[in-house]
Amino acid sequence: MNLIAAAILAPLSMMVLILLLRRFPAVLALLGATVGMFASLYLLADAFNGQGNQLILPGLPDMPLRLISTPLTALLSTLVAVVSNLVLVYAVGYMKKDSEKVRFFATMLLFVSAMQTLVLAGDWILLLAAWELIGLSSYLLIGFWYRRPGVTSAATRAFLVTRSADLGLYIAVFILIASAGSSDIATTLNTGGNAAIAAGFFLLVAAMGKSAQTPLHDWLQRAMAGPTPVSALLHSATLVAAGAILLIRVAPMLPPEVLLVIGLVGGVTTVVAGLIALGERDLKRLTAASTSSQYGLMLVAVGAGVPLAALLHLIAHATIKSGLFLGAGIFQHSRNSTVLVNLQGAGRDRPRVFFGYALAALALAGIPPMSGYFSKEAIIAASLASPNALLLAPLALAGTLLTGAYMARALRILWHGDRKSHKIVGLYWMGAGLAGLVTLAVILGVTFPDIETLLNTRLPENTPTRFPPEIFGLGAAVGGLILGWFFTARRLLGPLLPWVQQGFTIAGGFDNLMVRPAFAIARSCERLERILYAGVFAVGRFGLDIGRAVRHNDEQGIDGLIFSLVRNTVELGSRARSLQSGLIHREMAITVVGTALILAALLLALLVY
Amino acid sequence: MSIELLLALITGAALFGVGIYGALSQTNLVMIMMGIELILAGAMVNLVAFWRYLHPDNPAGQMFVLIIMTVMAIEMAVGFGVAIARFRAKGSVEMEEAAELKG
Repeated sequence: MNLIAAAILAPLSMMVLILLLRRFPAVLALLGATVGMFASLYLLADAFNGQGNQLILPGLPDMPLRLISTPLTALLSTLVAVVSNLVLVYAVGYMKKDSEKVRFFATMLLFVSAMQTLVLAGDWILLLAAWELIGLSSYLLIGFWYRRPGVTSAATRAFLVTRSADLGLYIAVFILIASAGSSDIATTLNTGGNAAIAAGFFLLVAAMGKSAQTPLHDWLQRAMAGPTPVSALLHSATLVAAGAILLIRVAPMLPPEVLLVIGLVGGVTTVVAGLIALGERDLKRLTAASTSSQYGLMLVAVGAGVPLAALLHLIAHATIKSGLFLGAGIFQHSRNSTVLVNLQGAGRDRPRVFFGYALAALALAGIPPMSGYFSKEAIIAASLASPNALLLAPLALAGTLLTGAYMARALRILWHGDRKSHKIVGLYWMGAGLAGLVTLAVILGVTFPDIETLLNTRLPENTPTRFPPEIFGLGAAVGGLILGWFFTARRLLGPLLPWVQQGFTIAGGFDNLMVRPAFAIARSCERLERILYAGVFAVGRFGLDIGRAVRHNDEQGIDGLIFSLVRNTVELGSRARSLQSGLIHREMAITVVGTALILAALLLALLVY
Repeated sequence: MSIELLLALITGAALFGVGIYGALSQTNLVMIMMGIELILAGAMVNLVAFWRYLHPDNPAGQMFVLIIMTVMAIEMAVGFGVAIARFRAKGSVEMEEAAELKG
């Protein structure tokens, strides 16, 4: 069997098995994820040996469905598999007390296999299908605790926002297939001219929706209503990463105009989301805002023309962010809350967990020698070297500064406070998942040169500034950490704080800007529909009237004639039957009278002639 | 037409009329059959009279009489068979009570 298929089918088949057996969900889920992970690792090893792999399935006429394993897709597939495996290990502990493990693990596996399909897809049609599938499974996972208040609306909001941005992907794919005449992604990357510009912008819209870029960042924070392993998986290597992965894959095609807009969207997002994270009052929502901010940095790297830097940050961020979420989940279990005020001192209760969390936080801030440092330096160097350095570099540096600030703030709040010890079920499983991810987050930076070799591209070496870019990046990161550790959010943000805590509600916010007009349109549509409805009903009623008239005619006319004939025949028959009395002399009398009548007639005839 | 023929025809007609009256007025099966015998006897008298006074040289008339006598005998046999079966089954041969074959 082809290994590409194994990477996708292993989780999928285990999902089916879980749903059929309805027992041992955790064991089966880990088994499926592990088998898938080995398949992905094998693909990666093949890619290191220079071997590609592909699987062509019958699809539309002249547009077969392709699964390809290039160095890039094998790397992403491995990332997805490893992160999801560790998150599943954690989830075994996290979901220990939950009664609906079957549904949880089955949906998680569906999500993983959909994401594997997305990263391994070699043609646009399969990619679209996988894109929709991760949207669906993320909806199911965010809404997992659907009985809790507000959860369904958060899931619906996440689904609707990403779904409406997905329309951009559809349009872009139509443009690309129409102009290139093929659904193969590699072929369509040769598109140029206006088609590339249009397709680029629509792809950006799709990526903005999935990667929660401003102004579509709101859904991601609300998606925190789901279980923590779900958040860890959504934010690191899967759903949110899909947008960045899409842009990284199509980066060779994008013209400079689109790149500039991508860089600006990313830059604005990294600052806006960073500020939101700084003012946030909930640990998980803080982490979610940080995700938007980090994906903004990746978009800056793509916009600066160095998708490799974005890819490295994607990899580093995937491990770091899932580690942060796993840590946050443990703190959540220990205090039964994710609000920062309630979490004060939670880190002191469990110093080992706090140590892992702090390592991940420092890695995210970009402190050497952890993975976040290398990827962030790559992004800052790329933004400095890009033709639009004046626009992009300050935004990237501000994003880095804010990253340090909000991570240090989270650490400060978790460390300062009273100890309240409280036993947690399944801590060992959760700790194992966290340890694995934090280890990866710390050491992955070492492998970055290998990844560059694998992808056969190098980060740009020359820097146009007199100082090496490391100084800027490191300065921003350390400065941010110091600011966040020593100053409260109120002092840092000042009068901006209330505005930030509402998520930058500009002009009444998203609701007023988008939802009210949408509702107005919906209402007028409804009115139009009522009129159409009445018209349709009138036509129907007219038809019914005609039918009734025809039926009346039929019943009273034709049927009446036939039935009266029948009735009369029956009456005649019953009358004739009464002659047959069965009494001998009566019959005989009739015979006599009849014969006499016949004789009389005969005699009369003889007399007349 | 001779007076003898006329007398014979009147006798035959009277026998026939008495037979019809008997067959229609009686309710007992045996009496009805007696009436029918009288009707047939009337017909025989007519036939014999026509043969004797109009065509004494043609034996066809005698043949008709013999056929009628055979019919009478068969009718008697069948009729009494029915009457005996009826009597055994119902204990009576009153035809007012026998309407089972009514359609």
